[in-house]
Amino acid sequence: MALPRLMTIPAAALGVVGLLAACGGNGSDSKTPTAGPTTGVTISVVLATDPPPQAALDAFTKQTGITVKWTNVDWDSLQTKITAAVTAKTYFADATDVDWSRVGQLSKLNAFYPMDELMDTKSLEADMPQLTSFTAGGHVVGVPYDASFSVTTVNKKMFTEAGVALPKTLDEYTAALKTLKSKGTVQYPLNIPFAAAEGLSTYWYQTTAAFGGTVLDDKYKPAFTDPASPGYKAAAWMVDAMKQGLVPPGNINVTDTQGQQTLMAKGQVASVFSDYSGMVGSLYNVPKSSTVVNQVAYLPTPGVTGPGKNNSNPDGIGVPRTAKYAQAAALFIKWFTDADNQADFAGLSGPDKAMPGYALPSHVSAVQKLADKGSLIGGKDLATMLQTSSQPIFPGGAPSWYPQFSQAVYTNLHSAATGSVTVEQALKKIGDTADQLSASGS
Amino acid sequence: MTAGAVAARRRRPDLLPYLLVAPLALVIVGLAVVPAVYSLVQAFFRVQPLDPPTRFNGFDNFRSLAHNSAVLGSLGNTIAYTVIGMALTTVLGIGMALALQQRFRGRSIVIAVLILPWALPGVVEGIVWSGIWDANVGLFNSALTSFHLVDQYQVFLGSNRWLTILLIEIVQVWQITPLSALLVLAALQNIPDELYEASALDGCSAWSRFVRITLPLARPGIAVAMVQALILTLNVFDQPYVLNGAAETGASLTMQTYFISFQNLDFGAGYALSLLITLATLLLSWVVVRLVYRKVEF
Repeated sequence: MALPRLMTIPAAALGVVGLLAACGGNGSDSKTPTAGPTTGVTISVVLATDPPPQAALDAFTKQTGITVKWTNVDWDSLQTKITAAVTAKTYFADATDVDWSRVGQLSKLNAFYPMDELMDTKSLEADMPQLTSFTAGGHVVGVPYDASFSVTTVNKKMFTEAGVALPKTLDEYTAALKTLKSKGTVQYPLNIPFAAAEGLSTYWYQTTAAFGGTVLDDKYKPAFTDPASPGYKAAAWMVDAMKQGLVPPGNINVTDTQGQQTLMAKGQVASVFSDYSGMVGSLYNVPKSSTVVNQVAYLPTPGVTGPGKNNSNPDGIGVPRTAKYAQAAALFIKWFTDADNQADFAGLSGPDKAMPGYALPSHVSAVQKLADKGSLIGGKDLATMLQTSSQPIFPGGAPSWYPQFSQAVYTNLHSAATGSVTVEQALKKIGDTADQLSASGS
Repeated sequence: MTAGAVAARRRRPDLLPYLLVAPLALVIVGLAVVPAVYSLVQAFFRVQPLDPPTRFNGFDNFRSLAHNSAVLGSLGNTIAYTVIGMALTTVLGIGMALALQQRFRGRSIVIAVLILPWALPGVVEGIVWSGIWDANVGLFNSALTSFHLVDQYQVFLGSNRWLTILLIEIVQVWQITPLSALLVLAALQNIPDELYEASALDGCSAWSRFVRITLPLARPGIAVAMVQALILTLNVFDQPYVLNGAAETGASLTMQTYFISFQNLDFGAGYALSLLITLATLLLSWVVVRLVYRKVEF
């Protein structure tokens, strides 16, 4: 993740943000959502992804009179920039990223226009199941433009070589991994990204979902400190997998993307329990970056007694309060998240209309179309999972203190994986942090 | 010209130097001095966008930092980074400068190549070195197994706090040593050859020349090199963040500033920690200058 060198000059960097905050207007809060012209303007869209094809953007301009200036910023840097702009109340973009994990924080900061006031989000609900992950305080903070969710991937070739049937439950899955190791099919069959980074947190949430629970209850209290709870079992299962040699020892410093690129895509492991939807088509089946082309498939999440749930972790797009052309940005978002356009971006109408790296539309109908046409690898499985088993990580939306909670999760689980603390100690510290944050309400 | 006209001309200030310096001075004041002063003031306020409004809270931010276990852990890490980094950079910098002082074929090319690590961004270096230290597919492990020094790949980063700090700091030392070497080399080149010739005639050994002539006369350059090493190691961010993530085994104080400010949105505490780091940097730099720097005249 590329953080600017300026970050190493703490006083000056922080001071600039503070000064901007002091100088920035606060009148933006009172701006009406219908502010700004909707034609003949150029809007700035900043996302952590490549833009749609120029022809598609030109068609949008012709249709609406709105020109789009697209900027692609890497995800981590983008979050820092959004935070700085939101805090300083300065203009950053007309439309930008709203990650599921920051919905609570951005909502409490009143940093984005409620999308339900800018466009008809009610009509999207039926076809866009992950919209609930973007709802906080009764308002939609952003509209999901992809349908990323956690899903298990397996190297079917390795499973077949080892004579192991594809598992349906967690016990079968664990036994299968042990067989793969004992038969020498692969030395380390499982990828768990134990680096102290966000990917470890989401892996734990998904494993907890597979064990049949959530990490926080509906009042945002920790639900993982009891050894019988799904969250506790999930953490213990992950750390045990490390101790038993199912996970490469070096994974204590491997992030989620590193694990996908250097381990799963290179045939160094046989499975990722909590992978991301779309990885088969966007990485594992891409010959220039993978040695396991056509070997990896999605697997319904092995749960306690059968298929478990799949946690949603989509990216959304919203309109900051400081946008110059809020209404025009809303029109763009409506177009960008349209089901037909999304299907085209995902490759339904061929590569000319496809958006690089865009794997999975947020509309179930678009995913279904892609699956029916065979344009989406594992499309039928993904469509089924999206429709029937995907769920928000936090049913009431991510809390405003989620970033602090997540940091406690990944630093402590990382410590448990290195052996410097026990699972119990790690979960106690995470639980204490959650209790403290929940009580402070900040 | 009359005496009065001459006096008037003497009294009229020459504005040209001020005009030439003004643009840069304005930029420095605007982007460094004013924000620094603003940070200093805000360190005594509760600045939390999630809990407005901003309000004066005295030393509460400092008190909360003193009870923050992550900050205290990072303080220990940062002290280790600074001690290891300054020691290695100074010793290696002097050694490299002595080697480069010798005339040899291709010397200028060696100097140009040597400066490359310093020119690279810390993030890029972190990514490059993560490929070297990697426990699954890393170059270092590959070399160790090739030479039969280990049977199987070892985990270096993250498994042990002090080993992790040492390995991360080696990456930073690799980055900042070239500049130290050049600063010391510049000082060495100011030492007159006559001193060495005279000492040789007096029968001084090489070691004696190094201790009695080279080191004392290179002190201005060594002091500057040590101060730049101090500033960079005390503010290390990129290398531990890229190589070891947010793990407590390697997190530095500047990383905590980032987490507290931009992740927890507690800007007041972030300002306070920044202020403490800045004060520590200034104080320790002053100590280094007092201990190492000596005015040298030839």
